[in-house]
Amino acid sequence: MPHVIENMEDWPIYRSYNNNEEFLEKVKDKVLQHLSWLNLGEENTFRKELKNIVYQEKIRLSKTPWKSDDPKEKIFWNEIKRQFKSVKDIDNKGDAEEFDLEILNKILDFYGKEMVANFKPSTFRFAQKALPYIYSRLINSFPQALYKIFSSTDMLYDRMKISGDLDHLRKLENMGTLIVVPTHYSNLDSPTIGLSLNNIGLSGFTYGAGINLFTIKSLSNFMHNIGAYKVDRRRKHKLYLETLKSYSTVALTEGVNSLFYPGGSRSQSGMLEEKLKLGLLGTALDAQRINLQDGNKKKIFIIPVTLNYHYVLEAKKLIENHLKNEGKEDYLEDENATPFGLIKRTYKVITSNPGMTVSFAPALDVFGNKVDEEGESISKIGNKVDIADYFKLNGSIIRDVQRDQQYTQILGERILKEFKENTVVLSSNLVAYVAFQIIRKRFNQFTVFETLSLPKDETIVSGIEFKIVLDRIRDRLKVLEEDKKIILSSDLNLPTEELMNVGIKKVGSSHPTYVLRKNKNGVISTRSMKLLYYYHNKLSSYGLDEYI
Amino acid sequence: MSKVGVIGTGNFGLALANLLAINKKQVLIFARREEIAEKLNKTREHKGQIINERVTASNDLEFIAKECKLLFPIVPSNNFESLLNQLSPFLTPEHILIHGTKGLHITADINEVKHLDKSQVLTMSELILKNTCVERVGCIAGPNLAKELAAEEIAGTVIASRYNDVIKEGKKALNSPVFNVYGSNEIKGVEIASILKNYIAIASGMLEGMGYGDNSKALLITRGMAEMVFFGKAFGASEKAFMGLAGIGDLMATCNSKLSRNFRVGYNLAKGIKVDETLNEIKEVAEGIKTIKVVKLLKSYGFNSPLADALYKIVYEDWDITKGLEYLMSLPVSDDIDFIK
Repeated sequence: MPHVIENMEDWPIYRSYNNNEEFLEKVKDKVLQHLSWLNLGEENTFRKELKNIVYQEKIRLSKTPWKSDDPKEKIFWNEIKRQFKSVKDIDNKGDAEEFDLEILNKILDFYGKEMVANFKPSTFRFAQKALPYIYSRLINSFPQALYKIFSSTDMLYDRMKISGDLDHLRKLENMGTLIVVPTHYSNLDSPTIGLSLNNIGLSGFTYGAGINLFTIKSLSNFMHNIGAYKVDRRRKHKLYLETLKSYSTVALTEGVNSLFYPGGSRSQSGMLEEKLKLGLLGTALDAQRINLQDGNKKKIFIIPVTLNYHYVLEAKKLIENHLKNEGKEDYLEDENATPFGLIKRTYKVITSNPGMTVSFAPALDVFGNKVDEEGESISKIGNKVDIADYFKLNGSIIRDVQRDQQYTQILGERILKEFKENTVVLSSNLVAYVAFQIIRKRFNQFTVFETLSLPKDETIVSGIEFKIVLDRIRDRLKVLEEDKKIILSSDLNLPTEELMNVGIKKVGSSHPTYVLRKNKNGVISTRSMKLLYYYHNKLSSYGLDEYI
Repeated sequence: MSKVGVIGTGNFGLALANLLAINKKQVLIFARREEIAEKLNKTREHKGQIINERVTASNDLEFIAKECKLLFPIVPSNNFESLLNQLSPFLTPEHILIHGTKGLHITADINEVKHLDKSQVLTMSELILKNTCVERVGCIAGPNLAKELAAEEIAGTVIASRYNDVIKEGKKALNSPVFNVYGSNEIKGVEIASILKNYIAIASGMLEGMGYGDNSKALLITRGMAEMVFFGKAFGASEKAFMGLAGIGDLMATCNSKLSRNFRVGYNLAKGIKVDETLNEIKEVAEGIKTIKVVKLLKSYGFNSPLADALYKIVYEDWDITKGLEYLMSLPVSDDIDFIK
């Protein structure tokens, strides 16, 4: 589809980042305006807070250094530390405060410059135009047959289904600012989403990318110039987090479309997100309130998106991490993070995922209400509501952090509901679910861990049993679909035998070990219970187990 | 200054309207029937309470919702949903609703079903959220016997909401030299405490009616609170709320006061007077009777509620009270403090 806003120079992302000094001033002003990150008390002075930040930054650089760290950073923090030493002699309280504020300004300038993204139409156009060429070069290393099949990006899009009310999304682009909030399974979600958004014809999106991805200069420049701002997840202190939030809020009030992963890190278990991180989501509320207070009629729309893969590149590593109960995403630098490597891997994922679906849920306002064709908010009981009313107290729009935290939680709950209802069941999800649950039920006295360690002989499923359960689960899924609780892909209308065969062929198809295989006698086996468990988890929150 | 609305002309609604009025608020009170609104405005008296001059009665919900952004719905739980259905078209997300109804809304017919699912049981704040576009919801609960409030005796209450601005607005409207308003974010716990205490008051009335003294009543109140906490935890509330005014505070008041409707139901039962007769006499709802049944229907959630079980046998299975008491005292006892970890 053509872009809704044809001229890239008219895109908000271009206008904002083209003048990034002004943009960063606004970010800084916002942090300084409320100082809500400061936790002052008798024991904790402004100076102590600042010194603590410098201390934490220096510890980070020495204890968890990354290749992506700018060598100049150490010099910067040493200089701040030196300035603190030299200020001991200032007796006058006013002068001391002025000094502290100056230091804070320097730190904010530093963070801002490190963080800020850019948008170069030329880079964006290059990315659009170069893709077919890069892919065709890549394909030379693939079998010739594949080359013939997937020799252009059009073919790529053929393999990637984009579903949802896309015309409505295009319409909303003219009425407000879009925040796309996808489920998160893989590092390759961003390129996948990026391709989808471009295909729909929406203007550029800004998004936070881990600073560890900015190691290779050419990739770093590329990402930087298509709207990625740098996020250093090692930094946990409030000033940095507040700066990040302010950055996001300013981007939104400037009308720049944004992309957040509200689940935070990738789903390690393969399950749908059950809990969201609300920090960045809260900036949507904040930006909406500011727009209303400033008389800016632009509304902020939230678009939940589910990514539905047959194959997730990192599945093995993720599920193993999950099972070890490490819980935390590891932020090790990715040695394969080259532009070529990234594209190659994106390509592998897409070509291994015929029928993968990017499913756009209906748009919401920042309170989780659905919006109609004209962008008007429709409350859960079906009446039109004026969103300004949510922010009002005694007739005026009021800033109230605690209230907005509650609203953000509600928004989070509604997004989770949309994730669940807009998940597309692929044949691979279904067969993985069926196979794993049959085995699990056979050993229902075992824990999940024990089930995962079963000897191979015990994990074999007969074709007959498999098909009976497959039909039962499919029937239940059809009921859920009728109730609009889930979406079924077209594969699920296939005859049972065919559905089973297609699903088995597609589930995790590019892993070195197969996830499911059917032999000539119709017996189904797995080489990796862990991967089977991972792909099965996608459907684990729909109460299907009682139908096994 | 905008007006404050009270919906419902029961004893507590009237007392609350007067408390708002003595706090210099202009109050609109909703009466379902036009003639009651007219009578109230004309005679300045209703149900034995003198109505403050700043209180105006109306039977026009649209007018009240338009004039008042802060509303206190105080109607019995059985009528709450129909009230919301009438009120809902006039509400906007700017409205703040603080309800004072100590009952549950059940989406199934409790006389027909053998078991209730959690999703079929809603507190009034949950019902407001489900049936209106209002998000800023709170509840008011505590030892607030309507007749004592009407007499402007010193009292305290708690306003609970997940929103601090709801608590703040409620406090601003109600806090006065005779009425201390505390705040809490534990709305679920506060609602559950204020609902369950009703059946414990019934039991307390029974003990009094049978002539038992203070030791027995203290045992009842303490174990009653433990039972409230067990139930609360099973339904996602923290134990904190039960330690405050809506929990132990309200238990102390209702379990010791003949002014409490639920207490009177229990007291009369001990004297051989049937529940229906008492309810006909007092002409108001005793929410505790319904709560006993609801608790019974929720038993599959595995919480410990010996008191509610015994009361169910007495009220719904016509057990003799003495037999019920013997049953209770024969149960094995656990640690004293088994409800807080």
